[in-house]
Amino acid sequence: MLLHFLTLAPFIAALLMVAASGRDSKSAFRLAVVFGSIFAAASIGLLLRGASITEPMEWFFVPGANITVYYALASHGFSMWLVFVSCLVSLAALVAGRDSFEGNYRNFAIGVFALLGAMNGMFLAADAVLFFFFFEAMVFPAAMLIASYGGAERKKAAIRFAIYTLVGSAPLLMGLWYLMTLAESSAPFELITIMLSLPESTRNLLLVCFALAFLVKSPIFPFHGWQAKTYAEAPAPVSAILTGAMSKAGIYGFLFWGLPLLSSDSLTSIFIWLGLITAVYGALMALRATDAKNLLAFSSMGHLGLAMAGLFVLSETSTPAVLVLLVAHALSASALFILIGAAERFAGSRDLGKMGGFVKSSPVFGFLFGFAGIVAVAVPGTAGFVGEFLVLLSLWNAGPLPALIAGICIVLSAAYMLRLIAAVIFGKPAAVRGETKISAAEVIAVLPMLLLAIYFGVRPAPIIDALAYRESPESVFEETDSAADEAEENENVQ
Amino acid sequence: MNTIPLWFIPLFPLFGAIVLGVISLVSSSSEEGAPEGITGTLAVLFPFLSFISTAVFAWNMPAEGFRETLGSWIDTGWFSINFGFLFDGLSRTMLLFVTGIGSLITLYSVGYMHRDRGFVRFFSYINLFLFSMIVLVLSDSLPFTFLGWEGVGLCSYLLIGFWNADQKNVAAANKAFIVNRVGDLGFLLGMLVLVSIGGSALLSYPELLSLFAGADLSAMVRENIQWFSLAGFLIFFGCTGKSAQIPLLTWLPDAMAGPTPVSALIHAATMVTSGVYLLARLSGMFAVLPDVLFVIALVGLATAFWAAVAGLFQNDIKKLLAYSTISQLGFMFMAVGVAAFDVAIFHVFTHAFFKAALFLGAGAVIHSLSGEQDMRRMGGLLKKLPLTALVLIFGWLAIIGFPGFAGFWSKDLILERLYASAPVTGPVFYGVALLTAIITAVYMTRFVILTLFGKYRGSAETEAHIHESPASMMIPMLILTVGSAFAGFLWAGLIPGADLFKNWLAPVVGAAQAMALEGMHGPHLSPWIFALLGTLAAFLGIFAAWKLFMRPVPQTKEDTVPRGFGGDWTFFFDKLHYYCVLVPVRVLAWICDKAVNPFVMLIQWFIGGIAEILGEGVRSIQARKIRVQVGLSFAGIILVLALAVFCGGI
Repeated sequence: MLLHFLTLAPFIAALLMVAASGRDSKSAFRLAVVFGSIFAAASIGLLLRGASITEPMEWFFVPGANITVYYALASHGFSMWLVFVSCLVSLAALVAGRDSFEGNYRNFAIGVFALLGAMNGMFLAADAVLFFFFFEAMVFPAAMLIASYGGAERKKAAIRFAIYTLVGSAPLLMGLWYLMTLAESSAPFELITIMLSLPESTRNLLLVCFALAFLVKSPIFPFHGWQAKTYAEAPAPVSAILTGAMSKAGIYGFLFWGLPLLSSDSLTSIFIWLGLITAVYGALMALRATDAKNLLAFSSMGHLGLAMAGLFVLSETSTPAVLVLLVAHALSASALFILIGAAERFAGSRDLGKMGGFVKSSPVFGFLFGFAGIVAVAVPGTAGFVGEFLVLLSLWNAGPLPALIAGICIVLSAAYMLRLIAAVIFGKPAAVRGETKISAAEVIAVLPMLLLAIYFGVRPAPIIDALAYRESPESVFEETDSAADEAEENENVQ
Repeated sequence: MNTIPLWFIPLFPLFGAIVLGVISLVSSSSEEGAPEGITGTLAVLFPFLSFISTAVFAWNMPAEGFRETLGSWIDTGWFSINFGFLFDGLSRTMLLFVTGIGSLITLYSVGYMHRDRGFVRFFSYINLFLFSMIVLVLSDSLPFTFLGWEGVGLCSYLLIGFWNADQKNVAAANKAFIVNRVGDLGFLLGMLVLVSIGGSALLSYPELLSLFAGADLSAMVRENIQWFSLAGFLIFFGCTGKSAQIPLLTWLPDAMAGPTPVSALIHAATMVTSGVYLLARLSGMFAVLPDVLFVIALVGLATAFWAAVAGLFQNDIKKLLAYSTISQLGFMFMAVGVAAFDVAIFHVFTHAFFKAALFLGAGAVIHSLSGEQDMRRMGGLLKKLPLTALVLIFGWLAIIGFPGFAGFWSKDLILERLYASAPVTGPVFYGVALLTAIITAVYMTRFVILTLFGKYRGSAETEAHIHESPASMMIPMLILTVGSAFAGFLWAGLIPGADLFKNWLAPVVGAAQAMALEGMHGPHLSPWIFALLGTLAAFLGIFAAWKLFMRPVPQTKEDTVPRGFGGDWTFFFDKLHYYCVLVPVRVLAWICDKAVNPFVMLIQWFIGGIAEILGEGVRSIQARKIRVQVGLSFAGIILVLALAVFCGGI
């Protein structure tokens, strides 16, 4: 029931918001926050309940291929935490956006709820078609939000974002369709079984198809072209959702559809190196960025690259490592985007050169921004440290060089983050335009996320233990991998 | 026996940091800020409570110490680490002076930071620093120590950049944090190496060191000895960052941008010595790694010599003390390098007193001269500030190793152990270290001459305002002065029976030291000869400085940055970092931005072509009505899906 609620209720909420008055943004805000809180509470309920699954319901039947597509949902350690993160970040965005969308708050909330429903559906889907449906469905509300409320080049950014990600997922669709016709089913388990029985060349081809979609979505070098512009042009609360929750879709996709297709170590190391290159590239670009939001976009890219590198190590620690890293990144990056939105309001520009000294004009903002920055630097005691440490530990299994490169990225991340902090809150006060104070809504949106980052940094057990359930994807893969090995051996014998 | 748990010790300053932080935030919008009386009292109270509880524990400690596990931190099944505390001979010694000197300097700061708008914020950071430092020292595992390790680095960053309206201070703070991060990477990788040798259990000190206990090394250790060496090198690299040794020492002189009490507490007495502490904590492991020890000794020697020479060229009072700190840390590393762990910690202990006294004295001078830091515009303060001058003179006598003062005893022991460490290299090391001691005496005497003797060379305006510091600053200074004079008698090598300090540390480092010394067969001489030579070095240095610098100082308007050869020498490592690290990183970043990015944009361009074509269509339905759009988009996706399904089905 909870799974259905988390997937469908956001869409209903979006519809109900339509009924709310468009003019009175205060009442719309109240309604949206009530809905958002309910979803956040439901996602906490999901965490408490642990892994669960719904009774599959027949959705539609594909006559030609003899496939019945089901509406089936399942939660497990990885997905329930990502659902929690999406609900939390969406709520934060709804709260933080109170004053940013004069008069149009209602439409903003509609977009956010539609996006939330799609994200939850994507994370919870237990059917290939359903997964793909939601995977695509995320793009539209996000693109609409960017196109309607973004910066000067918002339309271009939105179209580029939509087209890029849609084109990127076309191969995914083809790959899934091919598998479905083979398996005559769209249930993930059967698809994975079929995958494992395929010859290596086919698996590699499928892997490329799937990887394209997920690489674009994360994004991973060299498919990140859309990201910087999109994150920069999107309004700050939307950027927070994009980086905090939606960017996790790529990693999640790899975990579920990519890993079982891996057939050789060389492929694995290609993905590890792609992740590492992304991490280095993101960090170096962030060092040079002059646009505050661009800097954060590249920083996100770097972190996700690190997460992907860690994921493909396939060691005992890698899945918990990546999950902790993703949750930590969601908390700190979303907080930073929301705060940079406030800074943009103060300075009237995203240009780092036009910011500065905001700790003087708004000490509370300075505190929060510095706090969020330090959380993003992953000082021990924050969730980011646990994630990065475990990822380093996993990468060490892949060899000293990957671990060293990841370590250098961690040093570089300190360099660009401190540069951002120095440029935004320290130094001579910049000419402040308009208001100088951070709004209470923004404080309320950001502070809990930062405190959570500290909490999980000291006690990551809730996240790590969630993966100890039997639904752990890793164990599934280990079993299936060994089954595949056996199958291969049998073939060899024959 | 013990009524309070160990975690109370770090809890007090943590609580203080949070309370003061909240007060600072809440009062940030008011013009006046929170009342200094109450907040100042709170700021001193928490460190002091922590000191008292440390003292209680120290008093009641059984020989083997206490160990206390708070709970699990990270547990992924095969990788598991706990929050745990270990209170033994080593952490007792460190904690006593960390919390003790910490409380004194906090008290001093109440006077020093009077009327600063960030008064409360400052003390919140100081309390947070003490929390981190206590965790660093008290932890029973490497990862938890690392929490404190990066925590002190963070506080150092916050406090160096405390006056953050000036980007110069912020740049110094960033530099400190980033250079330390580079070192921390070594620490992190060192931990990973240990985990790969024997799992996460090896990250806990007692488990790790138990591998090396006993006369013979286990087969497991012998098989993995090169991996242990690698871990040792990496962890030592981490220590060079925090303790400002070659090659990561450039941040410490810049760190003087922070308020002077910060320089005294963090950048002289406590944080920068944590590298020495960590090496002593792992003494059991390092004792079986002679190659690593040799490198440590070399690095310590080179750093001590380089920084002492750099000290000769400094005109800024705080920069001079910073280089002298680096040099003294080099002495401590030398001691570690010849497996004299107890002596190294003893020098940490005495240095904490006399360097804190010197820094606080310098702070008092700067305070009374309205912020003047250039020694060429000081002079003649012996008569104007007699009490402060007394503090400086005692600190000076201690650091140059004047017989009887704290530094004399600890430096003497280091020199003695250096000489005895090996047949050939031992006397060579000793010779260079003795030369460094002479240079130390020269530049420190120059410091005293420039500040206290001669005529006052500053402006008449500042001269009128010269005043002794208030009691809250004077009392801590005087206590530290007493310490600089007498702290050495806790382990006075020449006096039979005066080796209390050695006995305190023996349960922790004694076995390792004995093991390491077995392999060292250097020549032995009577301790009196070393004492004599050490004393001669001090007098020679004083004499040389007196001849060289006891003359009128020309008036100057230039800034304090050393020029010419002095500048080249001082900034050698800055330049090295610039050309070997910064430039390559910038070039790489430039390549990414200017060369790789266009390639990425090429991919984009293809997609963009489609976007252009479809864009027209999208723009026409770009109605204001989101509802319609959302509905349309869902319809669209279902259409696409249905099409795909339909086509594929056929």
